[in-house]
Amino acid sequence: MKRRAILAFMHDRPGVLNKVSMLIRKKMYNVDTLTVCSSRVKGISRMTITLREDDIAKVTQVIKQLEKFTEVISAKELDTNKSYWREAAIIKLEVDSEHLKAFKGRYNFEVLDKKSKDIQIIQLAGSTAQIDNFLDKVGREHIIEIARTGVTAMEK
Amino acid sequence: MTGKEKLLSALKTKGIKYIFGYTGGAIMPVFDELENYKDLQFIMSRHEQGAAFMAQGISRGSLSTNNPQVGVCIATSGPGAMNLTTGVADAHMDSVPMLIVTGQVATGVIATDAFQESDIVGVMMPISKQTYMPLHADDVETTVHEAHYVATTGRGGPVLVDIPKDIQNQSVSKKYHFDVKGYRPVLPGYFYHPTPERGPLERAMKLINKSVRPLIFCGHGVVNSRAGNLLQQFAEKVNIPIAFTLHGISALPADHPLSLGMMGMHGTVEANKAVVEADLLISFGMRFDDRVTAKLDEYAANADVIHVEIDPSEIDKNVATSVAINADVYRTLRVLLDDPMLTYKPRRRWFKKIDEHRKAMREALQGEIDGGVGDNGKLLMKTIVHQLSLATKGKDLIVPDVGQHQMMAARFYNYQTENSWFTSGGAGTMGVSLPMAIGVKLSRPDERVWSISGDGGFQMNMQELGTIMEHQIDIKMLLLNNGYLGMVRQWQTLFFDGRYSGTPMLNPDYGFIAKAYDIPYLKVTKVKDIRPALQKAIDQKGPILIEFVCDPTEVILPMIPAGGGFNDMIVTRPQKEKSVSKRKKKGNKS
Ligand SMILES: Cc1ncc(C[n+]2csc(CCOP(=O)(O)OP(=O)(O)O)c2C)c(N)n1
Ligand SMILES: [Mg+2]
Repeated sequence: MKRRAILAFMHDRPGVLNKVSMLIRKKMYNVDTLTVCSSRVKGISRMTITLREDDIAKVTQVIKQLEKFTEVISAKELDTNKSYWREAAIIKLEVDSEHLKAFKGRYNFEVLDKKSKDIQIIQLAGSTAQIDNFLDKVGREHIIEIARTGVTAMEK
Repeated sequence: MTGKEKLLSALKTKGIKYIFGYTGGAIMPVFDELENYKDLQFIMSRHEQGAAFMAQGISRGSLSTNNPQVGVCIATSGPGAMNLTTGVADAHMDSVPMLIVTGQVATGVIATDAFQESDIVGVMMPISKQTYMPLHADDVETTVHEAHYVATTGRGGPVLVDIPKDIQNQSVSKKYHFDVKGYRPVLPGYFYHPTPERGPLERAMKLINKSVRPLIFCGHGVVNSRAGNLLQQFAEKVNIPIAFTLHGISALPADHPLSLGMMGMHGTVEANKAVVEADLLISFGMRFDDRVTAKLDEYAANADVIHVEIDPSEIDKNVATSVAINADVYRTLRVLLDDPMLTYKPRRRWFKKIDEHRKAMREALQGEIDGGVGDNGKLLMKTIVHQLSLATKGKDLIVPDVGQHQMMAARFYNYQTENSWFTSGGAGTMGVSLPMAIGVKLSRPDERVWSISGDGGFQMNMQELGTIMEHQIDIKMLLLNNGYLGMVRQWQTLFFDGRYSGTPMLNPDYGFIAKAYDIPYLKVTKVKDIRPALQKAIDQKGPILIEFVCDPTEVILPMIPAGGGFNDMIVTRPQKEKSVSKRKKKGNKS
């Protein structure tokens, strides 16, 4: 099913997140990712929700019902081709330094900590696919722990 | 000044006259303060659900008066608040503005499972328009003003204000100031769009002028924006027939020559056939609920759809529109009426077709209405409603419960008064009638109010007879007793081979019940006694209960089966009912 990103700006009041997640559940979606942060304007939060839906009419319904919330100022779908979707990941790996170094050129990760010779914590930002790709290439068997932020997005 | 004073003075400022509810620990400070507010009349329901429906009655009844009011209900925390929920969800479904005030445990113990604590903000969130919990006395007054604003603007709805007990008692700070006159809510995310835009209007008018078989839909939004009269003028101007949703009823006189009556699951043949045959649907203030559209993929397959609606999330939700007009119904009609672009057409062929359907319908029913009894000699509900319509000349206010009698009341009363039909439509909540009729009566004291219930629904809020007794609320209660949960029984007759599982019931002696509450009571078993009993209710002042012994085998037709389409409409009874199953005997006394 097609992955959709919905960007919404909302009045930062208690319970908004609750309402949004209840709506998504009521519409019977499983949230892929959901990120919230403060926006440029004080008191206004920015939320990016990704979920899977092929039918554009249904996505429009979700957006309209989001906008119906007293707190939600605007909501819209972000076109994949006309926007950046990015996430960040912190990854603890048990891996040989040399093995890791080989990927440095193609993936712009940063080493946060070198616990020991073969345990490292790195950070990496990029599209979901890029991060997935990196993990596949390095080898997922090396992962001890991983934390990903979920998608945040912006129009070009 | 304390939180509780700010609450009550804000309600007073907002023109509230009645508060319905029930006390308890967490709301006691507010009740105590209420003693100092003599112009806020408190009416104690016998169950919080009753209070919620009474509050709805105030909002629904008064909207067409010069002094529209918002119904207010109040309850304690935990069980008290939880008992309100059905009435709140019902108001939410039917776009009824309402304020709900609940007490909450003190802030210091919130989220500790304190005695009578429930997360009522969390509970109400999905079933209300907005929820608030002020956490300082300074916030109480603004909250009430904002809650009132949100409840009453755009598409109306219920709004909760949950106030912790310590905040009720807390004093406002020294620098506290609230400017009642200058107050404007700060709600950057809350908009509604009352004025129609020119572009869609023009496209709509083109479609209207072009159409050969157009049909107007009159929904709840017409009643709520008080546009019934404008809609009538509009329909006359362009000569287009009108079909009503359940909530559109009473927007304009039911016997207007252009009226086709109600459409949908229990709609008239002429309305439903017109929907199928129309080439253009012009819908005002409605949401294409599944009881209106039946099977969606067959709905309005050959028609363009113009949708005028204040809530943008209803547009294109169930039915794809050709022209969407996101605006207030009244304002839209105002513009349309004055526009010279719209043309009158005789539409002879279209009306001829409609008249044929209408005639078929009438023939199918008139015999039953005149006969007045079923095969078993018991009264038919449609006859009772028809007689009521004659006795009151269609001018009175009707508050049905939910079931067969509700659909009979929708179909066979000749509504003449604007906003005279009050029903639970979206939720279809049994038990609404008695408490809602109380609210309606208080909002329209000079008009006669009839509460029409089935034996099932009557017993769901029968405790409110206590409220009626205490305040001598002058409502005329008609109990259409068929010994069954009739509407469900009808489905069992039609779709479950007559297996009457869970629908027969043993009824109490309602005469004793009326007597216990000191309410006059009549029992009617014969057709010839219907009219005199109704006349008695009209002639005497004060409440009265009239029980009618009704035929459980009566069905309300036409009916589009759930999940079916308009072509599956059942118009005449397939066959006489087989002798009623043995199980019936067990439960049915009357
Ligand atoms: C609170 C609630 N419970 C159950 C239902 C399902 N229901 C709809 S109509 C109906 C039967 C109503 O029976 P009664 O009040 O006797 O009216 P009648 O149909 O016999 O006129 C039932 C059980 C409902 N609408 N509301
Ligand atoms: Mg019944």
